Amino acid sequence: MLSVNGLCKSFGTHKVLDGVNLTLNPGEVVSVLGASGSGKSTLIRCINGLEKFEAGAITVDGFDVAKPKELAEARRRSATVFQQFNLYPHMTAVENIALAPVEVLKRPKAEVIAEARALLDRVGLAHRADAYPAQLSGGQRQRVGICRALAMQPRYLLLDEVTSALDPEMTAEVLDILKVLATTGTTMLFVTHEIAFARSISHRIVFLEKGELIADMPTADFFSERGRSLPRVAQFLSKLQGEAL
Amino acid sequence: MGFDLSILAKHVPFLLEGLWLTTVVCLGALAGSIVLGIVVAACRTAASPLARRLSAIYVDVFRNIPFIVQLFFFYFGLPEVGIYIEAAPTGIIALSIAGGAYTSDVIRAGILAIEPGILEAAEVSGLTRRKIFTKVILPIALRTSIRPLGAVCVNLVLTSSVLSTITLNELTGSAKIVAAETFRPFEVYAALLVAYACLTYAVSGLFGAVHRHVNRHTAGEVA
Ligand SMILES: Nc1ncnc2c1ncn2[C@@H]1O[C@H](COP(=O)(O)OP(=O)(O)O)[C@@H](O)[C@H]1O
Ligand SMILES: [Mg+2]
Repeated sequence: MLSVNGLCKSFGTHKVLDGVNLTLNPGEVVSVLGASGSGKSTLIRCINGLEKFEAGAITVDGFDVAKPKELAEARRRSATVFQQFNLYPHMTAVENIALAPVEVLKRPKAEVIAEARALLDRVGLAHRADAYPAQLSGGQRQRVGICRALAMQPRYLLLDEVTSALDPEMTAEVLDILKVLATTGTTMLFVTHEIAFARSISHRIVFLEKGELIADMPTADFFSERGRSLPRVAQFLSKLQGEAL
Repeated sequence: MGFDLSILAKHVPFLLEGLWLTTVVCLGALAGSIVLGIVVAACRTAASPLARRLSAIYVDVFRNIPFIVQLFFFYFGLPEVGIYIEAAPTGIIALSIAGGAYTSDVIRAGILAIEPGILEAAEVSGLTRRKIFTKVILPIALRTSIRPLGAVCVNLVLTSSVLSTITLNELTGSAKIVAAETFRPFEVYAALLVAYACLTYAVSGLFGAVHRHVNRHTAGEVA
C-alpha cells in the first residue's frame, strides 16, 4: 500500500499541499484531478522523493520516503512517468529502458535488453528500439518513457500529466497503452487533465483544490450528484462541459 | 638576401621532430586536462561545500597566474625542494594543470546545461549518485563539451610554444635552433607561423568532426 498521511508542503511561505491524505492499494487506478497549480505535481514529487516536506508521512509498502535509509526501498517500489518524458538523450530507446534494471536491480544485461525489446514491442515500437530520443516523435518518446518505468517492475506507477506535452493524435497513442495497463492490474496514480479518460479507467478520483484534497471517492460517485454537491468540483466539471464525459 | 624557403629543406627532419614533440606533449596535456577537468567539474557541482570551494579556488588560481610563471615554478622552483622532473613531463603536467582549469569550466557548463528533469528521472529510478554521474551526467556533458574543448585544445597548442623556455625542443624550440644556425629568422619564423596556423586549424576541424560524429543521433537535444 502507498499511503500519504497529513502531507504538508510549502515553497517559502506558499503552502502548496495542506494536510493531504491518500491511499493507493495494489491493483487500484486512482486519478488525481485539479486545476493547474493545485499541487498535483508536487504531490507526485513528494511521493517519489524529489521534494522534501515539512509535515506528514508518506510510506510505500511501509518504507518511509522521508527517511534517507528507506527512500531507496520506497523508490524501488514505484516508477514515475514524466510530462516532459525526460529520456536520456545519449541513449537509444532500449538503453533508456535497460539502464536502471541493470544498474539498480543488478539484473543480467542480456536478459534486461530482451525484456526491454519485448516492452517496446508491446507499445508498438519494436522497430524504433535502437533510435535515439531526438529521432522519435513526442508520442513515441512517451511510450519509451512508460516502458522505462515498467521495466523496473514497479508496484506503483506514478504518472504526471503524461500526455500534456502531446498533440491529440499522440495523446491517443499513449492513452491506449495506459488503458491496457489499467485493465491488466497495474497500480496507478494518474495525474491528468484528460477527464473523460480518467473516468473510463479509474477506480477512484481524488480532487485537489489549492493544496487540499477535497474529494476522494469512487469514480461513479465523483461524476454523479455526490461529486457535484461539492461546489469546487461542480465548477471544475462544468468548465469541461464541452468535453464528452 | 631574398626570401628563400629552400634553405630550410635540410632542416625539415629536425623541425618535424619538434612538431612531433609538440603533438605528443599536447595530446598528453589534452588527456591530462580532460581527466583533471572531469574531476574538478564533479567537485564544483558536488553536494559538499568543501569540494566546491577547493575546486573553485584551483580554477581561480591557475587562471590568474601567467603560464610561464607556473612553468618556471615547476621546472626551476621544485628542484630546490628536491623534486626533479624532466622537461617533457614537466611540460605535460604544467599544461594539464593549467588546461584543467579551463576544461573543468567547459565540462561544468555542460553539466549545468543538462535538463533537470533528466537528472530527476535518473534519481527516482534509484540510481546512486555515482552511477548518475558516470552513466548520465558525464556522457551528456562531454557530448556538449566537444566543441569548446576544441578551443581549449587550440590554446594548449599555442601555449605549448612556451615550453621552449624550459629547454624542450618542441616546434618553437626547434625553430629557434634552426634560426640561430641558419641566420635566416625571417624564413624560419614565417614557416613557423604557417605551421601553427595549420596545426590549430586542423585541431579545430578535428574537434568539429568529432562533435558532429558523436552527436549525429542527438541533434536538437544536445546542441
Ligand atoms: N519549485 C517550486 N518553487 C516554488 N513554487 C513552486 C515550485 N513548484 C511548484 N510551485 C508552486 O506550487 C504550486 C503547485 O504547483 P504544482 O504542484 O506544479 O501544481 P499542478 O501540478 O497541480 O499544476 C503552484 O502555485 C506552483 O507555482
Ligand atoms: Mg503539474
